Amino acid sequence: MANMKIKAKVKGDTLKCKIQAKHIMLPYDAAKKKGVDANFITLITAKVGDRVIFEASTSQFISKNPIFKFEAKADGIKKGDKLEMSWTDLSGKTVTEDKKIKGLK
Amino acid sequence: MERRKFLGLGLVAATLIPASLSAVDFRKEKPDAFTAHNVADAIKALYGDIKFEEKGDLTVKVPKIASNGGAIPVSIQSGLELKSIALFQDANPESAVAVFTIGEGMIVNYMTKIKMKGPGEVTLVAEGKDGKFYKTSKKLDVALGGCEG
Repeated sequence: MANMKIKAKVKGDTLKCKIQAKHIMLPYDAAKKKGVDANFITLITAKVGDRVIFEASTSQFISKNPIFKFEAKADGIKKGDKLEMSWTDLSGKTVTEDKKIKGLK
Repeated sequence: MERRKFLGLGLVAATLIPASLSAVDFRKEKPDAFTAHNVADAIKALYGDIKFEEKGDLTVKVPKIASNGGAIPVSIQSGLELKSIALFQDANPESAVAVFTIGEGMIVNYMTKIKMKGPGEVTLVAEGKDGKFYKTSKKLDVALGGCEG
């Protein structure tokens, strides 16, 4: 469970999320200097149930241990629902983690 | 030669426009966009030959001077009905930073951190649901370049 930090909270009618993925995000330039392969997250998605609430195709220029903040409309989200984050990197590794959404009665 | 190259690029981009709305991996769909070396080429590879609207409800926020080029906070906000948003910069060897896909029930209010080698310009291109395109950009200084990992 140490690959990602996830915070998800419903405030009013908005779902506010903040996530940090632990990833080296090594661009091609730096990788060449070090003599290793470049590796960075290429696709990151967030889901509540079947609904996709965040999706980004990213490149090598997102910072190391990338942080993303995003929002979505909260209608249809019930207590006990989980926010499911997953990312895929250049080496083909996929990591999925989930966390309960806070702030619901 | 310049003109021929230009026309060819436009044609390739036009045939690549995806039909699906959700779950688009832009890296697989448009690999050219992520290897283009300047912003204009990257936009062309991603969206084809497009015209921009004069102004739209689209803002990008960056610090005037970033102390650390390894993690520059970038905020994106828009109240428009959008399909996707692409973020570019012109300081690194390749321009594309990220492409956000926007679907039903999403609010365009993003924050992320990016890397920049030196001072440059951050460009944001948004694709509306009505087929219109919007563009905004901001210049910033970077005190310490951050592309070395």
